[in-house]
Amino acid sequence: MFQGMNFSPASLPPSVDRLREEVRAFLEEETDWQPNSDFNAGASPAFSKRLAMRGWIGMTWPERYGGGGKSFLERYVVTEELLAAGAPVGCHWIADRQSGPLLLKFGTEAQRQRFLPAIVGGDCFFSIGMSEPDTGSDLASIRTSAVRVDGGWRLNGSKIWTSGAHLNHYMVTLVRTTAPSENRHAGMSQFIVPIQDPNVTIRGIDNLAGESDFNQVFFDDVFIADELVVGQPGNGWAQVMSELAYERSGPERFLSAFRVLTEFVGCLQVSADRQQRALAGRLITHLVTLRRMSISVASMLESGEMPDTEAALIKDLGNTYERMVPELIRLHLPDQSSARLLSALQECILHAPSFTLRGGTREILRGIIARGLGLR
Amino acid sequence: MNEDQVLVADTAGRIFREECPADIVQRAEQGIYPSELWTVLIDNGLVLAGIDEANGGSGGILVDALVILREAARRAVPLPLAETFVASQLMNQLQQPIPALPVTLVQGHFDLTEQGRLTGQCPGVPFARHCQSFLIVVGDSVQGGQHNDRLCLVDADQVTLEHDRNISGEPCDALAIEIEVAQQRIFAVDRAFLDRGRLLGAAARAVMMAGALEEMLKITVDYALERRQFGKAIAKFQAIQQQLAVFAGEVAASVRAADTLLDSAELNPLDVAIAKARIGEASGLSAEIAHQVHGAIGYTREHRLNQLSRRLWLWRDQFGNEHEWHETVAEAFLSDPGMGLWQKITELKV
Repeated sequence: MFQGMNFSPASLPPSVDRLREEVRAFLEEETDWQPNSDFNAGASPAFSKRLAMRGWIGMTWPERYGGGGKSFLERYVVTEELLAAGAPVGCHWIADRQSGPLLLKFGTEAQRQRFLPAIVGGDCFFSIGMSEPDTGSDLASIRTSAVRVDGGWRLNGSKIWTSGAHLNHYMVTLVRTTAPSENRHAGMSQFIVPIQDPNVTIRGIDNLAGESDFNQVFFDDVFIADELVVGQPGNGWAQVMSELAYERSGPERFLSAFRVLTEFVGCLQVSADRQQRALAGRLITHLVTLRRMSISVASMLESGEMPDTEAALIKDLGNTYERMVPELIRLHLPDQSSARLLSALQECILHAPSFTLRGGTREILRGIIARGLGLR
Repeated sequence: MNEDQVLVADTAGRIFREECPADIVQRAEQGIYPSELWTVLIDNGLVLAGIDEANGGSGGILVDALVILREAARRAVPLPLAETFVASQLMNQLQQPIPALPVTLVQGHFDLTEQGRLTGQCPGVPFARHCQSFLIVVGDSVQGGQHNDRLCLVDADQVTLEHDRNISGEPCDALAIEIEVAQQRIFAVDRAFLDRGRLLGAAARAVMMAGALEEMLKITVDYALERRQFGKAIAKFQAIQQQLAVFAGEVAASVRAADTLLDSAELNPLDVAIAKARIGEASGLSAEIAHQVHGAIGYTREHRLNQLSRRLWLWRDQFGNEHEWHETVAEAFLSDPGMGLWQKITELKV
């Protein structure tokens, strides 16, 4: 009826059942981290390396780059299992979800050969550089810029809210390579910035929970060789837009509060009143529906479609849900709430403001949905 | 939906659009029952889809009937289609011929003596005055620790009605009975059978709400593009766009939940619970936004918007409201402590 509201039922291939069991068996053996379903809340290079050894990073990429040649739906199953278990996926998450696919789509053969096997091996982590101190939702207003020099570009400026920059190796950074013009979306390019370059400075920023997972990153005359430019200079905006369906439709957009729900349900299995049961039922009802919608989109991505509006719908609905979970559970806590439930709840409440900001604010997403409805 | 069902949806949708314009709905609410429309639907096999031909139906499977009901809901068709669906599915399950139509299931307070004397009443029976037959549930009589539930088939001239209407504007009458029922019109049933009736009703209302919600979003978007204030279409205001985006999210979730029911040959009780609860929840918020965007014109009785919204407000409460189905969902997930929540979620069909 409307463009971008297609969530036709899709099925997971039978092959995923065994894969799911393998991931669960792997997670059973894991002991050195505390579970948190917020994909941004845990980052462990050692965990990412162990995951890579199992072939679960870059699993959809072609085998000639070290990838697994698996389907997008198989990757979906691995990611949802990791999130549901609360695994510390932060280090490899961005590289696996979007930097690798970006290089496969727009990168040079040399870039693919250089970066993809390293990502697959769990040795190379990526950040995303989009927001700046004066640029949030209005991404086209970025001022970080580069000028042409012999053999490459000289980069100056700053990016902010960069998750994991202190742990990661590279940052796919959106920069201006020509001055702003009438067409605001023209003149931008994507660079692969080596974060450990001496002219790159990283300053950690504590979030309100007291954790330091995001940063401000400064570029002072950083030399970016031509071979680190992704795609055509000037095509940056279109390339960034092509990542959005991957970025916004996955299970991380509705599972951030899953830890709270699963601990709540665990406590209710001991004893529960009607209100508590109804709440658990309501939250499960939403979750099952969101998961089905998300798998519909994963199936569209698998068949090469670009379901941008659907992805925005999932992220908006999913984020609204993630924020609703702790708010409702706190009012229906069982008398004998476990310590794990209480600590998951506290963590979730502290992280919740980020759910509806990161990866596209609620307001921006709703603008995209409104465009899909033909309103703008 | 499979290809056949897409065809059924197209055909049914066209017939409902052509034969049931808004003024038919309005006249029905004023007491002019669209009996000609009923005849058209019968003639086109849209009333008894999913009922075995041997029992007087049109053949096909249960989901075919749900597909038709979703299309009917888009036009707020003021006929006892869902009621007939539930009752005739139950008769079909009993391998009984379908009685005179329309027929509805009645769950009130009824007693049946061993001699076959049926007495009792039920408030608020939708469309009762237009039904030709009633399936009266006689339940809750426990004998020797066994539930002794029965179903009695009763004709229209055997009941006394007190006319009323519900918020949808449709007939909704109090029914009373004091008659002798012939033994061949009494059927012994079990609890599972009666639960099946509630499940069928919930499935029907779930897909119907999803259809009505899609239609409501469509007319609300159209209105926002057409209505001008402050020198431009109200669709151009971010305040309106943001509201309609929320509405669209609720509709998308509802359509997905309904599609799950239409995507399998038989009803999975847990999926029906999820759909009825999720779509019921979406109905309240969506109707609120639709009315806010329409302004006062949507609040006038003759506007098509409230033909849809009043039905959504009714349907979300019929055959179990959100709260009741949430408890059912919780029951399914809490009953087996050995199985984790996530494991259970991933075992559901996608």
